[in-house]
Amino acid sequence: MIRKFVGAVAAALAVLAGLWLMIAPFALGTQPEDADWTDATTTEFFTGLGVAVVGLLGVIAFVLAIYETLVVRGLVVPKPKAEPEPEPEPAPAPPQASSAELASLLAPLVEALREDLNTPSRPGGEHRQNGRGSLVGVEETR
Amino acid sequence: MRAKVGVTALALLFLGGLWLVAAPFAVGYQPRGDEYADATVNDLWVGGGLAGLGFVALVIYAADALRELASRGKHADV
Repeated sequence: MIRKFVGAVAAALAVLAGLWLMIAPFALGTQPEDADWTDATTTEFFTGLGVAVVGLLGVIAFVLAIYETLVVRGLVVPKPKAEPEPEPEPAPAPPQASSAELASLLAPLVEALREDLNTPSRPGGEHRQNGRGSLVGVEETR
Repeated sequence: MRAKVGVTALALLFLGGLWLVAAPFAVGYQPRGDEYADATVNDLWVGGGLAGLGFVALVIYAADALRELASRGKHADV
């Protein structure tokens, strides 16, 4: 456990050293501006790049190794992988009234309308208007 | 397995440090007999530090692994 931690710290420091190597020629002024890279700059930059990449790989490897050790010792419980949610079942279609039920429901209304249409117009030109009195009252006075 | 990758990385870092120390003379941007250039000084310090860091980390890793092996051996004897 300790050795893995030491390895992770060393690798992290190596990452920093690699980054420094990449910028050192420009920070120290050994690379003239507006000129091709010198041999020293090329060497330092690409060596630093390699050191940084290898150091990063080392950090990742040691951190994963530490995590593995913690899981084996039971100090860390790995999260269960989220299973894909099952597709929701389509909701059952609401029961639709059959046309026969609908017809039986509307039959009294149709009958009342037909009766109303067949009734001769009232004497005196009285017309029932919407919005005046309740329909029930008008029907009772008829 | 993952620790092996890490140890390999440490070994590569150690070798990279050695390369940095040798690079000014191997590549030729440090003329012989001249005073050390800034790039040479930087490479020597960073390379030396990197090689030392990698070496110490490898030694600690090996020592801890040996200690664990010895501990297992003691328990096995009992």
